Amino acid sequence: MGVIIFYPIVDGILTSFQMRSFLQPEAREFVFLAHYRALIQDGVFWTALWNSAVLTGVSVALQFLLGLGLALLLKQRVPGITIFRSITMVTWVLPVIVIVIVFNWLVQPGYGLVNLILAEFGLPTDYWFSNTTWAMPLIILMHVWKNAPFFAIALFAAMQSIPDELYEAAEMDGASAIQQFRYITLPNISYVAMIMIVLHVLYTFNNFDFVWLSTGGGPLRTTEVLPTYVYKQAFDQYLLGYAASIGVVMLIIMMMFTVIYVKLEDLD
Amino acid sequence: MLNTLVTRFKTRLDDGMTVRRATFVYSMLLLYYGFLLIPLFWLIRSSVVTDEMLRAREINLVPLAHMTAENYAAVLSNETFRLYFINSTLIAVATTVLTLGVGIPAAYSVSRFDYPGRDYVVLGLISSQMLPLVLVLIPFFTVMFRIGLVDTRVGIVFAHAVGVLPFVVWLLKGYFDAIPQSLDEAAKMDGCGYLEIMYRIIVPLSLPGIAVAAFYAFVGSWNDYLFVSLLSQSTGTRTLPLGLQLFQTAQQVDWGAVTAAAVVTAIPVVVLFALVHKWLVDGLSNTGGKGV
Repeated sequence: MGVIIFYPIVDGILTSFQMRSFLQPEAREFVFLAHYRALIQDGVFWTALWNSAVLTGVSVALQFLLGLGLALLLKQRVPGITIFRSITMVTWVLPVIVIVIVFNWLVQPGYGLVNLILAEFGLPTDYWFSNTTWAMPLIILMHVWKNAPFFAIALFAAMQSIPDELYEAAEMDGASAIQQFRYITLPNISYVAMIMIVLHVLYTFNNFDFVWLSTGGGPLRTTEVLPTYVYKQAFDQYLLGYAASIGVVMLIIMMMFTVIYVKLEDLD
Repeated sequence: MLNTLVTRFKTRLDDGMTVRRATFVYSMLLLYYGFLLIPLFWLIRSSVVTDEMLRAREINLVPLAHMTAENYAAVLSNETFRLYFINSTLIAVATTVLTLGVGIPAAYSVSRFDYPGRDYVVLGLISSQMLPLVLVLIPFFTVMFRIGLVDTRVGIVFAHAVGVLPFVVWLLKGYFDAIPQSLDEAAKMDGCGYLEIMYRIIVPLSLPGIAVAAFYAFVGSWNDYLFVSLLSQSTGTRTLPLGLQLFQTAQQVDWGAVTAAAVVTAIPVVVLFALVHKWLVDGLSNTGGKGV
């Protein structure tokens, strides 16, 4: 297993120092840091890096906040709450392509549901995935739609394991609902929350499917992210070495988060 | 009438849950589940209406007069789509079997034995989750090419199994760790070998965890787009996520067929999810959110 997983990494890092074409992958010529030098001057690379950071930061923040809110709702013991609990994660299992189709269909020009509703209120309509302002928010929305429920269920599970006595004691002492949340709920779910956040930062930063299948990085590169840029360099431009050097930059960024994750695990 | 309903509702509420608070909870739930479920509802609705209704510029939630099963008939009678469905099923089942076959003994070994380098194996398991897939893609492709597994189902199964295995081992390790070592000791006293301990004690006691792991492997394979698009070069090996492109060309999209095909693609994973849902949530509570 080590060979299967680690060989590609080593080879990937090696490739980033080489001139290598997808058409003749066996022909390798060492160019040392040439790719990295080109990378620094590549405007698209910086755009993609920035877009990746925005996409990751905003989606994970929204997933966490929305998930936390939903977890608090799911905790309420109202009749029928178990039905809500059990259907929550349904979007999480859907293939990304199905999610993209759903949202693509909703924003179709003219007869997409979103546009029908907007037209009803006299608002402008558009094919929103091709809109330079709204394409990125739509991709973020798809990420949130898929993952916020997972945050909710994990945080809900963490809340379930907090003993009731803690809340009863707090109530005796006259703590308000907000104080109970701040001093009992939040500290008790922070471990799970941190793990979830780090995992989803990695997952979102690394994700290729959502952008590739919805906008392909367009319009005008406003949704270009590092994974799609690597893919294009490797499989459209056949520049394996250059693609690998972008991949190595991603690897370094993800390793920083991995270190945080491993540190968190150690606390257990 | 309303009063009696409210009274009956009140009797079902716990202490501290007033009708006002319950109303607030329900309205927030409706708001959230609207966001969650309306897109899904619209997908399903679109898959069962006529083409004319699809392109109608009016919001008609359940257009009974314009319902049709034609989209499903078109999708299911498409031979290429059926082939993709079969490919998806074969590949996902094989991935699950292979992953569990390798993953259970692997998880057992990291859970029960302390050998040199074990910590690195565990660290490798975690960090392999965090690699940029696109970086791995290029060398992976050249390896597959060299051993002649490009454009074969076996190659795709292999790719998927490698992809999900680290996580499955990590997940199973959590479940195996929760089984008291004293049971192993007792079995050893009774003369059981390690394999017997694994199959007679560890596996039966962690069936829910194994079900979740199997679900994870199946879904990982079923939903994958990237590896199939890379390794598959002919219809013989393509799977459903790619099959959804069958009903769209650059000029035109047959939205009725596309939405129906999307529903068909989603059904197996949603059904499986319903089966393991309880264990998945329990697992989340037990492992503190580490699972899945």
